[in-house]
Amino acid sequence: MSTSILVVDRITKRFSGHTAVDGLSLDVPPGVLYGLLGPNGAGKSTTIRMIMGIYEPDEGSVRLFDDRVGVGGRDVSARVGYLPEERGLYPKMKVIDVVLFLAEIRGLDRRQARTRAMDWLERLGLKDWTNRKVNELSKGMQQKVQFISTIIHDPDLVVMDEPFSGLDPVNAQVLKDTLFDLRSRGKTILLSTHIMEQAEKLCERVCIIKDGKKLVDGTLAEVKRTHGGKHVVVVFDGANGDAMRIFADRRLVAKSDSSAQQAELELAPNADPQEILKALVQSGARLSRFELAEPSLNKIFIDLVGPAAATAAARPEVARA
Amino acid sequence: MHKVLAVIRREFVERVRQRWFWIMALLGPVLFGAIFYLPTLLGRGGGLKHIAVIDGTTTDFGVQITDRLNRPGPQGGTSFAAARIAAPGLTDTVRIIDSLKHEAEAKRLDGFLIVTNATVDSGKAEYRADNVSSFATNGALDNALTELVNAVRLEREGVDPEVVKRARVQITLATQKLAGAGQGASAAQSFSLAYFMAFILYFAILVYGINVMSSVLEEKTSKVVEVLVSSLRPFQLMLGKVLGVGAVSIFQFVIWGVSGRFLFAQRQKLIGNAAGAGGDSGSFFQIPHISGETAFVFAAYFIGGFLLYSAMFAAVGAMSSNEQEARQTQQPVMYLLVASYLSMFAMINDPGSTLSVTLSLIPFSAPIAMPVRWAAGNLPLSEVGLSLGILFVSIIAVTWVASRIYRVGILMTGKRPSVKELVRWVRTA
Repeated sequence: MSTSILVVDRITKRFSGHTAVDGLSLDVPPGVLYGLLGPNGAGKSTTIRMIMGIYEPDEGSVRLFDDRVGVGGRDVSARVGYLPEERGLYPKMKVIDVVLFLAEIRGLDRRQARTRAMDWLERLGLKDWTNRKVNELSKGMQQKVQFISTIIHDPDLVVMDEPFSGLDPVNAQVLKDTLFDLRSRGKTILLSTHIMEQAEKLCERVCIIKDGKKLVDGTLAEVKRTHGGKHVVVVFDGANGDAMRIFADRRLVAKSDSSAQQAELELAPNADPQEILKALVQSGARLSRFELAEPSLNKIFIDLVGPAAATAAARPEVARA
Repeated sequence: MHKVLAVIRREFVERVRQRWFWIMALLGPVLFGAIFYLPTLLGRGGGLKHIAVIDGTTTDFGVQITDRLNRPGPQGGTSFAAARIAAPGLTDTVRIIDSLKHEAEAKRLDGFLIVTNATVDSGKAEYRADNVSSFATNGALDNALTELVNAVRLEREGVDPEVVKRARVQITLATQKLAGAGQGASAAQSFSLAYFMAFILYFAILVYGINVMSSVLEEKTSKVVEVLVSSLRPFQLMLGKVLGVGAVSIFQFVIWGVSGRFLFAQRQKLIGNAAGAGGDSGSFFQIPHISGETAFVFAAYFIGGFLLYSAMFAAVGAMSSNEQEARQTQQPVMYLLVASYLSMFAMINDPGSTLSVTLSLIPFSAPIAMPVRWAAGNLPLSEVGLSLGILFVSIIAVTWVASRIYRVGILMTGKRPSVKELVRWVRTA
């Protein structure tokens, strides 16, 4: 316990219609990239807000940096950087002034903040925009400014709610690089996302939640091991023959996630992958890839969360905090 | 405290940087000056009037009234340059009127006065002009005609005009207040002081209260508030906001005070040139002398009123999701303030009435009511103390309630809360 940066102990949060978070516990060790995963409306943002001390949990507690902190991240805001899901900056303020202000309310000295702000703005290619108003910036640039103000005080723990939403591939890469850089300097990063490909590439540890409850957590390898089974990835080269019928054969394939050009198969217990390969070739399918593989996080996620959750809308939150 | 200071600093700097702040700072004294001097300027009727006297009389009344009008008027009042045109018959009158119309249209003539024998006999005369609504011009003509008709009639009855002249006396009622804001100030001065204070208090509390509201709303709609409350307690944020905007308002007053002093010192030049006559004599509004005590009362009630109302406006901003919603939600708060302002007119007439005393103790109306009573009349200090005490306690109570609404409201989106929900927020927050 004493080695954890963040311990969430059985927190519950109810809003006027429903229970958003239901007895959830998390344990985030230092120096990792931790993914909080879940479909829309699973309670990710509510959990993060309780970690940050914006909401008070109805039950349970949040501990940061091995302290018992009644109201979460706010009291240690000098050591925590927070990027909320709903981004926002003062539209009429100058870029530099916004960054300085947000650094100041986290306890950073104004002069020190200015030096760091200039460094970061230069590093992320915004140097020429320092004295422009926020609303003159493109959305991507505003995201970068927001990102700078999240980490300008060099926090030990960075909490980001859906950091990649709305980013173009170039900016997403910039963000990823910066996150890896932070991690290599020993910082801990907790991020929420519902894009599993991203989580798989970034996170060492994940926790998948649904309806406010934890479904699974652990290192990525552990999660894959316990929820994997034998998997095969098939990529077709044009014709897929009678593949769909073979994938539907429950003696060979337990579950499949397939499209016209490729498929991810979870094998039935005791099934031999060679038999599937033989059946596919005989059915006239042309293959460019046939690979025994670990299940993707996406596959595990969909298996666990179920297809119904994929369409669940985020619930409007009427706070009773 | 470092964090609250950062919020105060942001509110202050961002506001003072805005163009409207400086427009207000510069226009304020000019506008306030105009409010006081416009009635005076309009009342004066604008100095010299060129008129024609169409004389249809068979006596020398036409000549006399022309002479009378050509005498210089009182300082600051209306003067006439009158020319007599004899119109012996009715047809002449009609012809002359037709020809003079062109002169009036060309603005070479302000109007024409038609006098006949009936003027003396039954007191009827006619004045035609483009502008017949100038009280000053009408009043001056009225005076001249009445005076002259009286004299002519008395003369007909055999009274010596010299006796008539000696019998006339101009009454000037000088009123002096017994005690209070400015001892020895005239009624006109304390009226304008009361009016002035009430107006500025109302205006400033309203403008800066709404400033606090829009600031809250801006953070809510731009979504920046979530980052803020991850580092600041909502109360710290609200406090910083109210104090920051308050500092802007005090800065604005300082600018107004300095520039107002300057304008006041230059008033002879400014007003004198505009009206062709200097001084304030005869004006209902007068620039009063403002004593140290009065300045203190004004400042205490401004700060108190601002704190009370801006806390309420902050709560209004927090419970609204956009400008339109805020405009609706702010109405109850606005009514409180407008009602306090309007009640000023009742209070100026009778500052000692039960209504006035009650209003100056109720915290929501006290910030306007008390300064008005202070300026208008004799006020025991104990009453001011009591009123300030109630106001102080109310500020704490209202801020407590407002901060709880604020705390929940800033993170809430969607439907505006009902009164029942608000009560629950306050209870459980």
